[in-house]
Amino acid sequence: MLPSIDPAEDRDRRGISVRSIVNSAGIGLALIALILFFSVFTEHFLSPNNLTNILTQITINMILAVGMTFVILIGGIDLSVGSVMAFAAVVAGKAITIPGMGPTELIILAIGAALLAGVACGLINGLVSAYWALPSFIITLGMLNIARGAALHVSDAKTIYSFPFAFEEFGSALLFGIPVVFLVALVLVLIAWFILNRTVFGRLLYGIGNNEEAVRLAGHPVFWYKVAAFAICGLTAGIAAIVYMARLNISSPIAGIGFELNAIAAVIIGGTSLSGGRGSIIGTLLGAFIIGVLANGLILIGLNDFMRQMITGVVIIIAVILDHYRAKYMSR
Amino acid sequence: MASGLLSDQHSSTEAEYFLYVDGLKKHFGGVKALDGASFSLKRGEVHALVGENGAGKSTLIKILSGVFPFDEGTISLSGVPYSPTSPHDAKSSGIQVVHQEFNLLNHLSVAENISIEALPRNRFGLLNSREMNRRARVALDAVGMQDVDIRAPVETLGIAHQQLIEIARALQSDSKILILDEPTATLTERETKRLFKIIEGIKTKGVTVVFVSHHLDEVFAICDRVTVFRSGITITTENISDTTPDGVVRHMVGRQLAQEMETGLDTHIRDDIALSVKDLCVAKNPRDEGITFDLRYGEILGIAGLVGAGRTELLRGIFGTDPVRSGTIARDGQQVSFSSPRDAIASGIGFVTEDRKDEGLILDMSIAANISLASLKKLSSYGLLRFPEETQMARNGSERLKLKYGKLTDPTSSLSGGNQQKVVLAKWLARNPKVLILDEPTRGVDVGAKAEIYSILKGLAREGVALLIVSSELPELMTLSNRILVMAGHRVSGALARPDFSEESILKLAYGQNMNVGGDPSAAIH
Repeated sequence: MLPSIDPAEDRDRRGISVRSIVNSAGIGLALIALILFFSVFTEHFLSPNNLTNILTQITINMILAVGMTFVILIGGIDLSVGSVMAFAAVVAGKAITIPGMGPTELIILAIGAALLAGVACGLINGLVSAYWALPSFIITLGMLNIARGAALHVSDAKTIYSFPFAFEEFGSALLFGIPVVFLVALVLVLIAWFILNRTVFGRLLYGIGNNEEAVRLAGHPVFWYKVAAFAICGLTAGIAAIVYMARLNISSPIAGIGFELNAIAAVIIGGTSLSGGRGSIIGTLLGAFIIGVLANGLILIGLNDFMRQMITGVVIIIAVILDHYRAKYMSR
Repeated sequence: MASGLLSDQHSSTEAEYFLYVDGLKKHFGGVKALDGASFSLKRGEVHALVGENGAGKSTLIKILSGVFPFDEGTISLSGVPYSPTSPHDAKSSGIQVVHQEFNLLNHLSVAENISIEALPRNRFGLLNSREMNRRARVALDAVGMQDVDIRAPVETLGIAHQQLIEIARALQSDSKILILDEPTATLTERETKRLFKIIEGIKTKGVTVVFVSHHLDEVFAICDRVTVFRSGITITTENISDTTPDGVVRHMVGRQLAQEMETGLDTHIRDDIALSVKDLCVAKNPRDEGITFDLRYGEILGIAGLVGAGRTELLRGIFGTDPVRSGTIARDGQQVSFSSPRDAIASGIGFVTEDRKDEGLILDMSIAANISLASLKKLSSYGLLRFPEETQMARNGSERLKLKYGKLTDPTSSLSGGNQQKVVLAKWLARNPKVLILDEPTRGVDVGAKAEIYSILKGLAREGVALLIVSSELPELMTLSNRILVMAGHRVSGALARPDFSEESILKLAYGQNMNVGGDPSAAIH
């Protein structure tokens, strides 16, 4: 057989993206079904106010899930993002309340501090787990405790508040009815999509998740790629911290408890394989939407928060079962 | 000894076929594992299945034992259509398999292992250990293992005994067919002889034994008939008494490969040394004596040796994958020290690894992404991939290697073993390596692709590339190499020039150091 010169080939030449679109299609349909369901059975679901509300609610989870996607794609996991977010928020809170500085300087200082704190925690996660080839589950479980302890220590277990006005403004600003913080998250998704689909780095992250040894033997510095994935995850925790502070106008050392699980859930519902190497950022975006829409819709429908939690749990399990069949189908 | 028993069998069983397989087909994705296999079994015969790796033997066994269903064709057992839906199904029809990898529970006792499929219970539903032990004793005595303690954990026994326990377990139920998948691969010569005695005993009880082996001497020692597989098709079934080992080999490899193996090397070895290795001691080498050799441009240097001779470790040491304890490597006369594969690649070396699934390929990724994997720097600017150039590189590579594929965006897992191996080659050829290191370049590759790979490698040598090839298949090394280095126990036990090549001389050298350890040389070297 001669090599086929198929026009379709030129369109879908990126590593795994054709299949990731097929993967995402199912999740997209599920999301549309959910939206239809809640639009029909509740009165206020489609109201502009409620839609704005949903977007605001899912923003932080979306940001954390973007970073989590990088880590899960290389076959890792990061359990520390909730705590790291709190730590970054407290550090930034300390910075932003330094007396005797202008609001612009304070805001820049706070953003820098949050990002730095997040990246530092991510780097530690990555360096330790990659250098000693230890399961990131354990290392980031350790970091979960370290960052939480550090957040409590730095803040003296007290909530920090009274931020510059412009900062609080940013947290509640709307652009054509869309929360600005959500747009920030959306931009992050776009950047992540670009990195994962268009760069050598992204290609190799998929490669590492599939077969680390093959990537290493092809001459790539696998160690640093892994560290970078964790650093990116830490960075998104830092960004999430800023958004969190701007929205709630406080920095609390006990913020973000359990956030890591929601982020992981968004990634998994989005079709990214927990064993790495397969998945997409678009899936993660849809996964975050499914969790957010479910949470919002189920409450509108009159279920209490406990029921909502149970149903979210069921959805996660169903997503993994579906993924099992999808993987089987794909390998045929 | 075998022939006497053989003629007795023929007269007593009256050539009664009771298992018919006809036109059996099975594919996995785009890969045709079986493409029309037909054969039949007589009661109480020992029937050999032979063929290269990937010829379809193990697929047939897995279908017969109910591991997976077949796509097309018919199987009948004792005149009734047979299509097992599970291993349990196959067992209750009297078909038992002893796989190459044992299915034993290592921490449990011999008796528990033998009865694990149907543990005897007393009337309270509790384990009846006395009955269990009795059954185990009977089963073991039946295969001549009076000397084994049934209470001992299986892990305390040697490999040969573990295998016999599997056989005993298979035989305790009412078996009609016992399939042994490469049973001698890990046995010493003495253990193999003992196994053969047991097989003869089993056969006199009217059980049919299907014997899968790479070793024709064994096939000719104990089998009554032989069926040859090639590329998913059964080529022929012959009575052992009517054929010769050479005849069987010719059926196995086919005309194309036979031709490729007969044509000589028309390479031109240059004077300049591409790779010079001096006293190289890898960290895993238990001795202090290192390896020394020179490899010239345009030369194919083969490395032979038994499993565990340190061949793969040597290659990994050269490529910077495994740490090196002492010694030097020089590329083009310049001393180098590779701390990672990255350095070795930068100096123009490529490495086709032994295990393409674990080390060579990213199976879930597209063919194009695999071919470009070692050349991403060339295909990107500022870290951004240039996709049209990647597609072009993949297209060129697959044309050059005559890759058979659907689309370049298909996952590499959709290809056959031979084509997967070509993708690994294409990945390295895309970098135009000066030195290409290959570890078992045709493992799990069908004969057609094997012939093509041979001709590609010879072509590379003609172009001036220096090739270093480790292979456990002696005919392969003898076909491809200008020179063969034989390793034993992490040292070079000898070097042979092409005129001196013979399986015997290589084996003698490969075996020289290990003689006292025991084991069948041909068993380990294949």
